[in-house]
Amino acid sequence: MSKLVEIITSASPEVRDQSLDAFCRSATMQEILNECNALEKFRLQSGNLYERVRALFFLYAMHRFHLPLKFTETKIGLIPFEGFTNLLNRRFEEAIDIFLAVQEKNGANDAISSALALAYHNLGFQTLANQVRRSVRSVSGNHWMFRIGHPADYPLRIRPELLDDSDNATFPILKEATPVRMDLTHSGWSDIFFLGMDFPEGAKVLNVSIDLAVRGMGMRRPKPPVEAYFRVIDRPVIRLTSVDLGATTEIKNLAELFDFARDYLGLLKAAVIASGIVPPGMEGADQPLADLLAKLVKPGHGLEIVSRVNGIPKGSRLAVSTNLLACLITVCMRATGQTQSLVGQLRENERRVVAARAILGEWLGGSGGGWQDSGGVWPGIKLIQGEQAAEGDPEWGISRGRLLPSHKIFYTDDASTETRQKLQDSLVLVHGGMAQDVGPILEMVTEKYLLRSEAEWQGRRQALGVLDEVILNLKSGNVTAIGNATQRNFFGPIQTIIPWATNLYTESLIKQVTAEFGKDFWGFWMLGGMSGGGMGFIFHPEKRLMAQNRLQEIMSATKRKLEKAVPFAMEPVVYDFAINENGTFAELRSGSAALMPAGYYSLTVPEILRINSKELSPHTRSELDRFSAACKTNPNFSGMISNLFDRLLPSSDNDEVGQKNLTDLLQKNGFDHVQHERIRADLRSGRIGLAQNRLPVSSKIEDVHENDVFDATGSLNQKYRDIGLDALSDGAVAVVSFAGGAGSRWTKGAGVVKALNPFAKIAGKHRNFIEVHLAKSRRISQLSGTDLPHVITTSYLTQEPIANYLQMENNFGYSGPLYLSPGKYVGLRLIPMARDLRFAWEEMPQQLLDEQAQKVQDSLHNALINWAKQSGEGMDYTDNLPLQCMHPVGHWFEIPNLLRNGVLKELLERYPKLSYLMVHNVDTLGADVDPALLGLHIDSGANITSEVITKRIEDHGGGLARIDGQLRLIEGLALPHEEVEFDLSYYNTGTMWVSIDRLLEVFKLTREALSNEELVAEAVRNLAARMPTYITLKDVKKRWGKGQEDIFPVIQWEKLWGDMTALPELSFQFVSVPRNRGQQLKEVAQLDGWLRDGSAAYLEGICEWE
Amino acid sequence: MKINKAVITAAGRNQQTLPLQTLIDSDGTEKSVLKIIVEEALRAGIEEICLVVQAGDEKAYAQVAGEHAGRLHFVQQKKPLGYGHAIYCAKEFIGNDAFLHLVGDHLYVNRSQKGCAQQLVEVATSNSCAVSAVQAIRETLLPFYGAVGGMPVQGKQDLYKIDEVVEKPTPTQAEQHLVVPGLRAGHYLCFFGMHVLTPTVIDILRKFIKKSDEQKIHLSPALAELAKKEQYLALQLHDWRYDVGVKYGLMTAQIALAMNGKDRDEVLATLLELLATRELKVLGR
Repeated sequence: MSKLVEIITSASPEVRDQSLDAFCRSATMQEILNECNALEKFRLQSGNLYERVRALFFLYAMHRFHLPLKFTETKIGLIPFEGFTNLLNRRFEEAIDIFLAVQEKNGANDAISSALALAYHNLGFQTLANQVRRSVRSVSGNHWMFRIGHPADYPLRIRPELLDDSDNATFPILKEATPVRMDLTHSGWSDIFFLGMDFPEGAKVLNVSIDLAVRGMGMRRPKPPVEAYFRVIDRPVIRLTSVDLGATTEIKNLAELFDFARDYLGLLKAAVIASGIVPPGMEGADQPLADLLAKLVKPGHGLEIVSRVNGIPKGSRLAVSTNLLACLITVCMRATGQTQSLVGQLRENERRVVAARAILGEWLGGSGGGWQDSGGVWPGIKLIQGEQAAEGDPEWGISRGRLLPSHKIFYTDDASTETRQKLQDSLVLVHGGMAQDVGPILEMVTEKYLLRSEAEWQGRRQALGVLDEVILNLKSGNVTAIGNATQRNFFGPIQTIIPWATNLYTESLIKQVTAEFGKDFWGFWMLGGMSGGGMGFIFHPEKRLMAQNRLQEIMSATKRKLEKAVPFAMEPVVYDFAINENGTFAELRSGSAALMPAGYYSLTVPEILRINSKELSPHTRSELDRFSAACKTNPNFSGMISNLFDRLLPSSDNDEVGQKNLTDLLQKNGFDHVQHERIRADLRSGRIGLAQNRLPVSSKIEDVHENDVFDATGSLNQKYRDIGLDALSDGAVAVVSFAGGAGSRWTKGAGVVKALNPFAKIAGKHRNFIEVHLAKSRRISQLSGTDLPHVITTSYLTQEPIANYLQMENNFGYSGPLYLSPGKYVGLRLIPMARDLRFAWEEMPQQLLDEQAQKVQDSLHNALINWAKQSGEGMDYTDNLPLQCMHPVGHWFEIPNLLRNGVLKELLERYPKLSYLMVHNVDTLGADVDPALLGLHIDSGANITSEVITKRIEDHGGGLARIDGQLRLIEGLALPHEEVEFDLSYYNTGTMWVSIDRLLEVFKLTREALSNEELVAEAVRNLAARMPTYITLKDVKKRWGKGQEDIFPVIQWEKLWGDMTALPELSFQFVSVPRNRGQQLKEVAQLDGWLRDGSAAYLEGICEWE
Repeated sequence: MKINKAVITAAGRNQQTLPLQTLIDSDGTEKSVLKIIVEEALRAGIEEICLVVQAGDEKAYAQVAGEHAGRLHFVQQKKPLGYGHAIYCAKEFIGNDAFLHLVGDHLYVNRSQKGCAQQLVEVATSNSCAVSAVQAIRETLLPFYGAVGGMPVQGKQDLYKIDEVVEKPTPTQAEQHLVVPGLRAGHYLCFFGMHVLTPTVIDILRKFIKKSDEQKIHLSPALAELAKKEQYLALQLHDWRYDVGVKYGLMTAQIALAMNGKDRDEVLATLLELLATRELKVLGR
């Protein structure tokens, strides 16, 4: 029997909890391949969810991490395009079959293993997601919602109390207020559904419902952070309003309700559906909404639902959105008689239905949290833990645990009133302000759990020990010990399981607080998925007030220092908080008290005022009366009148200031108006665009021939190394790191400087990209005994932050010559053409998402196409911060910048022997001035040596090809068909060795001519004209409100350095280098794999930190 | 347990004229709705019947009851305080006896020779406990009924032990509390408008009324309480029940009665003729 199948199927925890790594370390390649075959057969015949999923993750990990280490020879492999398209379309089983057939035919290799790894990984997560969805549907109380498809069958009726408008034509308002939750222990993300369903005994969290007030925002005392309001209205529509997002809409038909991303009201729509008011079974039913409302309410009437978040910013790690969803679902369930009581607390069984429906609602809205997130629905402190599935449960026989955990509420025996007070007196809750995407972290946790990697598994057990410790300390009232435990948890198990839970910002805060408060600082406490957003600091109660003030200052100062390096969504805040002992709680407001929150009226009253008063219904008139009375007497409504005026007469001052800044910045950074006008006109007329980037279909594109690429993946001849070392000693080479780009994939368009992002802990410290590149240059300098000149290219976006950072960090101790090469070209972004958006989203192969997430994305795409049309296709994009409206114009300009800004001239003057440049992208972490490769370049006599790597599935965007017979690099967006890329064996690393004099010749320049600015400018312009211009779509973030972000697609243009390979007058040499040297880190989600597959260790080996 | 008393409630506002309507019963004779209901009770061996009415309705009811008028006792419900309160009004008539309870606006048509009430009374007598007649109803109709949850009584077809009673439950509540093994998905056992109740119900209603502060008293909460206090069964009937109080209710009940009796062929022919002469003519044009 296969060893791994035995591990998966064993009933004994000792066997079952063995790690895959331990097995693979000593296994040969053939043994691992045999296990892969056995697991593949096993997973296909196993009916047990857990077994299938664990087998899938084992297969993934073997192909992703273990097999590549065992491939002794570089065997070039191609990935079949058909398999790739199946992957994109989520037909994972078909993709796996195709990849396995290729593996069978051609033998195992790195490329096909990468494809199999991705397919197994995605299939694993899809299997899990499907199971969660099935389980949510089968929670009792939810089945019926999937059976109802026609208003004639509609079974809900509004509670009669809400229909009584006898008091002055006023329908009562049902108000629900819900606390948010914080996790008092963070026991290793054990609230991920699959963990609870597979390891119920280890899925435990201590969860506290809390009220909040943001300090300094005029809130007097903590109150439930989320509120929902429900009432009957005298129109047959569902009116939805989000006060904090400033959005309101009237839903008139069912299709609008299921269209989640067309506005900001997706969460409210999900609540209407998940609460059963419009059951999910009605999706796609072409029936009038008014018929349903006539049954639910009464003919001619409808509903209004309003949500409000009380000043709590997004990303608080306090599950605000899940609790808001739960709050909305609760109010809808109460109003339709699905709970016993209309007001007050909920019963336990009702809370469980709400929690299950919140999970359903999150799935409908294309998002998802953990199973403890709706904890705010329950009162006070509670232990939430996984439950073993028993006979009769829908999970029985499928998974070990149930989908929904159990909630044990802590009474005063478990945590006395005094202890609760002590906790409130010691804990300072903050939002650090960082923008975060915890999605990848949750996937990593699931994966590591399934693989049972030794250290992580040990960490998980330790985290459970910390939880027990905290429970005991709560019982004994020892808050100091709680602080100690949560801090140990953060620095120990949490980071063992997920190193990315921490970051430079958080650690810097902890360090400062520790230094300032000493023994009065009892401990740090991480909330939720990762640190940097919602966090807790526990202090001696006497110091709490001071700590609150100081933390605000410390966080703000640290943010200012790091904000160009780390994405922040908002200014940090400190909260006042209180434990909420009610859980979700409702009250009925009638008569003159039937008022919505004040912010609601600033949204709706301006519209009402535009209507002739005679046309207003009695209900609306009565509401205006109540509102006007409240403005005079109710303190919550003070200032409303001036607010209304602001809304009716919006100011335009800010727009003008923004425009002026943008114009100044463009001018300062070499914006070429004439060229911009031409590009804009070409774009609008359709002469250029995404589709026009492509080479003609008639181009003959082939893979490289046998001797086209020099294999430098093994060790090179000592001769080359000697030549290289000599050149280094002579000062004949400099390194150029391209850091002018915005790194939009890294920060999802957040506009921070990727080069400065402290992305990982290396050699015990968080290091950024620049620091790493300098550390490699330091090592080479030490090796050759000569300081290696290092140039970092910058742009309008990165020049100032990089210069400041280097100054602040004293060039990270780099003693060699360090130059910044500022950009001399900039572009202005354009609003995309609808046809380009359609081309990108409809014609290019796209990754299909999970069924519901895909629906949400389709709806978002439609909304964005409408946005482009309404804002003016092809117009200048100016509706954002000036820096977010500009764009770098591609790395082709990085070398011309060196010529134009005088840096090359200065270098050549200082180092007359300087003859070679190694240029590389900032994200190619493994690239260094390797003496052997340098020697190879010099010895070859090539003008430029370009480094390539063999392809893996993630290497998209072109490669090395013979195009109409000429060997050159080609960009993915220039390929006439997507499938062509899959016939190419090599991928461009972006790293090149350039012979300076030969390059100058191509520009028709000489060393001496560099002093002539005009000549240089013209030379660059002439060569630029020969380079193709590509139109690309980039995501840009627009921030607004409290940590809210919208992402817009914008058009920009760029020229790319790889196209230099098409110039006949330049001779090129292509060398294949090891993956560790050539791979690029493009997305944060790659980091964990990078750390685990040996890449990080390789990097550490080529760095010298001192 | 012997059951020879029945309580018929007919005090609902806007409903007091329903029992006075005249229909042709399945035996072909013209009868008032009330008389048909009374005869249903008599078939079950009931000897005395109490009618809970609004003040002043007694005479009209006595008139339409025909030869059965002598068996009728009248009790007034002076204020519209709900269905439960209406039954409570008959407390003196009920005394310490179990009783059959029917509503004044429902008619029953049986499939077999045995009347619905007769079947119910037999089961109550043999089990010596309260029994409610129920039918399996789709979840979409739950807003119109009281529903019960429980388990089948082993070895006895169509008989269930009631654990829960909820008035007009939502499907959400029904799925959580009222799922009964053996029923089709999305079907629940709902009241049929016919019960045999023990005097304990009156004690429970008394308690409720004391606490109610003039609020309406419903029967279902009292039955839920009854299920906690003593054995309470549900008998699933496969006969037909017609609510004459709904739109076209009277007409539907009339057709159903006729179809189940000796005039079946005549009524069918009339309906067919109506269809042929009106609808087919329209189509012919």
